[in-house]
Amino acid sequence: MSSIRLFLIASILAILTLFNFVAALQGYQASLREAEQLFDNQLYQTAKLIANLHTEQIQTPPSPQNNLAYQVWHNNQLIATSAPSLRQPIIELLPGFDHANFNGYRWRTLVFYDDNHNNWIIVAERSDLRYMLAESVITQAVLPILLGIPLAGLLIWLIVSRGLKPLRDLSEQLKNKQANDLTPIAIPDLKSELKQVNHSINALMRRLGSALDREKRFTADAAHELRTPISALKVQLHNLREEVPQGNEAFAQLEAGVERMQHLVEQLLSLYRSTPEEFSHQMTRLNLYELAQEVIANQHHDFEKCNQLLELEGDNCFVEGDPFALTTLLQNLLSNANKYTPPGGQIRVTTEAVGGHICLKVEDSGPGISPTDYSKVFERFQRLSHIKDVAAVQGCGLGLTIVKHIADLHNARTSIAPSSFDTGTAFIILFPRTPDSHD
Amino acid sequence: MFLNSVVLILQEILEAALLVSVLMVFSRLDERRPYWLLTALSAGFAGSLLLSLNMANVSEWFDYVGQEVVNASMQYAITLLLALFAFSMSGDRSPGRQRLVTICMVASVAFSLTRESAEVFIYIEGVLSQPSHLQPTLTGAGIGAGIGISVGILLYYSLFWLPRCWITSCCLLLLALIAGNMSSQATLLLTQADWLPPTAILWDSGHWLPENSIPGHLLYALVGYEATPSVLQGVAYAAGIILVALMGWLGSRQRHLKRQPLLADRKED
Amino acid sequence: MTRIIRYYLRFALATLCILLAQTSMAGTPVIELRIKDHLFFPETLEIPADTKVKLLVINEDPTPEEFESYELNREKVIPGNRKTVIFIGPLPQGEYPFFGEFYPKTAQGKVVVTP
Repeated sequence: MSSIRLFLIASILAILTLFNFVAALQGYQASLREAEQLFDNQLYQTAKLIANLHTEQIQTPPSPQNNLAYQVWHNNQLIATSAPSLRQPIIELLPGFDHANFNGYRWRTLVFYDDNHNNWIIVAERSDLRYMLAESVITQAVLPILLGIPLAGLLIWLIVSRGLKPLRDLSEQLKNKQANDLTPIAIPDLKSELKQVNHSINALMRRLGSALDREKRFTADAAHELRTPISALKVQLHNLREEVPQGNEAFAQLEAGVERMQHLVEQLLSLYRSTPEEFSHQMTRLNLYELAQEVIANQHHDFEKCNQLLELEGDNCFVEGDPFALTTLLQNLLSNANKYTPPGGQIRVTTEAVGGHICLKVEDSGPGISPTDYSKVFERFQRLSHIKDVAAVQGCGLGLTIVKHIADLHNARTSIAPSSFDTGTAFIILFPRTPDSHD
Repeated sequence: MFLNSVVLILQEILEAALLVSVLMVFSRLDERRPYWLLTALSAGFAGSLLLSLNMANVSEWFDYVGQEVVNASMQYAITLLLALFAFSMSGDRSPGRQRLVTICMVASVAFSLTRESAEVFIYIEGVLSQPSHLQPTLTGAGIGAGIGISVGILLYYSLFWLPRCWITSCCLLLLALIAGNMSSQATLLLTQADWLPPTAILWDSGHWLPENSIPGHLLYALVGYEATPSVLQGVAYAAGIILVALMGWLGSRQRHLKRQPLLADRKED
Repeated sequence: MTRIIRYYLRFALATLCILLAQTSMAGTPVIELRIKDHLFFPETLEIPADTKVKLLVINEDPTPEEFESYELNREKVIPGNRKTVIFIGPLPQGEYPFFGEFYPKTAQGKVVVTP
């Protein structure tokens, strides 16, 4: 909600505005006081000038302007005035400056007593006019301060944006990072404030990377080491079968348990082999349709056991890939479909060219997966709980993770959709199309 | 015209900016989107336009004291809305309460703006008929608005510099001061309209801090400073503060009461 | 409980009525103040001490004006070519300047409270 940039721009601009405007206000008041003083002095000079003129000279108004008025009184007799209509004293005859209203205006007045001629001289200047004159001069000085603020705001905005750019770059780099990309972040010309952040992030990445490595290696080593004792167990079981009576429940359980353990270990090993670091590149151009045919032929008896209808549709499609890895991918997809489709259900494998892709689709008529769970499907050891009798289904929850790994290695996209049957799921793998993929 | 327009605009903007800043702090603490402010600003703008266009008629209501009565009602309404806000914002987080909080915020800002900007509109309208006054007036309005808005922004950010646990109490205190100010001003208006009896002067600090000085104007806009307040105004001010504080306390007490049985339930589980 | 509250409400209402009646009933002196060309006429208003006065302000200008006085604690907008009423006082003896906030350089005046 709150942004550093907005905070910096708003508060800097506010402080700048506050100080400048208050200073302008102070300047205005001081200048206006000065101007008042100046005008008053001028009025005083005018009064003295009038005092020194002869009565005949002042009979005719000295200037046609109507912003100045005067009266000269001698022994309560009006002897001169600026306008014939001004017969009453403008203001009480008390020496000094004051204000008075007459002729529909407000006037600044000065009463001056001339000792030489025993004359009272009243001079008045229009208040509003002299104020307007002073004010227009001073506002001209204040206006640039006001107009400068938007310009200052623009510059502050540019500078703050520029100053925060390294931070934005860093967050941009972090945002664009792939989930499995743990390489250190490199920002050219790093600012000193961000050095520690960058350093800490990179150290964290390194630690995370080595922890992940250790975990992977441990899994692979453990799986590898477990293979031999499991093989030995299977041999012993085979030998034992001769001595155990047929239909012994405990023995059947034991055999199934060992079978499951072997499967898990094999899956763990193929998971490890399908990580980018361990994957050995043996890409060749191969026919996906033929490969599917082969895998189906090998696994056909699993489907027959469950009375499931398995069909293969499509044409010859060629992809660049590793035959061993793609066989594993197909095996896993098929055994997944086999496990989660009830007996008597349908499974359809399709290979076809769609647009710029080669599409491998495995559909089943099982219970299906709710769209909210789509993202979880490819996670390790994820077995969706909504499927009934989940415990009854054999599996370790690694199959689809391996599928995803292998698809990633082939730059293929995996996705899930409802199947074209009434119920069920479609697993779709989109391989990039090689030149002449389709014959 | 310049200084005059600075003072006039500054006073009106400052009063509104104070209220808006404090409510914005609450709204951010509540992680509420600031759309309510847009609603409040447009409602206030429309209201002030309506009021300023009809001012000539409004002031003839109630035997020529319509202006005082309308303004005072709005100020009393703001006081009550702030008290209601203090009550509902310190209470629980039910949707009903949340809606009440939004209504209080929008209505109080809208009323405040209606009152403040109606005067500005009338002033600007009068000035527009005299082109010679236009430049100094607009310059002054710009300076006044700039200072007022800047103070509002700085107040908003500086409230966040307080320790987290103090922000709410500080904002409540400011709201209480605004409420006191509003109710005191409204009381003064009703005295001016002769709807309330005139009372004796509480104190005279005109020599120490004249109202007609920059700090005097600032304090008037921020906390309703008066050099010569009447007894009734003092009572109204105190009543406004106490009302907001009491409602805030009642709201938070109610929340505690509601929370306790919840904890007891959990223990039984 | 409710009976007590009702009693107090009735009492408060009665007091308010009496107060309102008192304030508007008394023969408050009326003083006229005119605004013309952004000037106050008369410039000086004389009112007796400790008496409430009803000021009838008539704005003869087409522009609005705001009667404002810090000393009197009064503030009121008078629209152009309209009149309005402002109550002031009771006041102790002294001088209380007022001005038109919209045209403060010309619209100036004062209330002189005489014993």
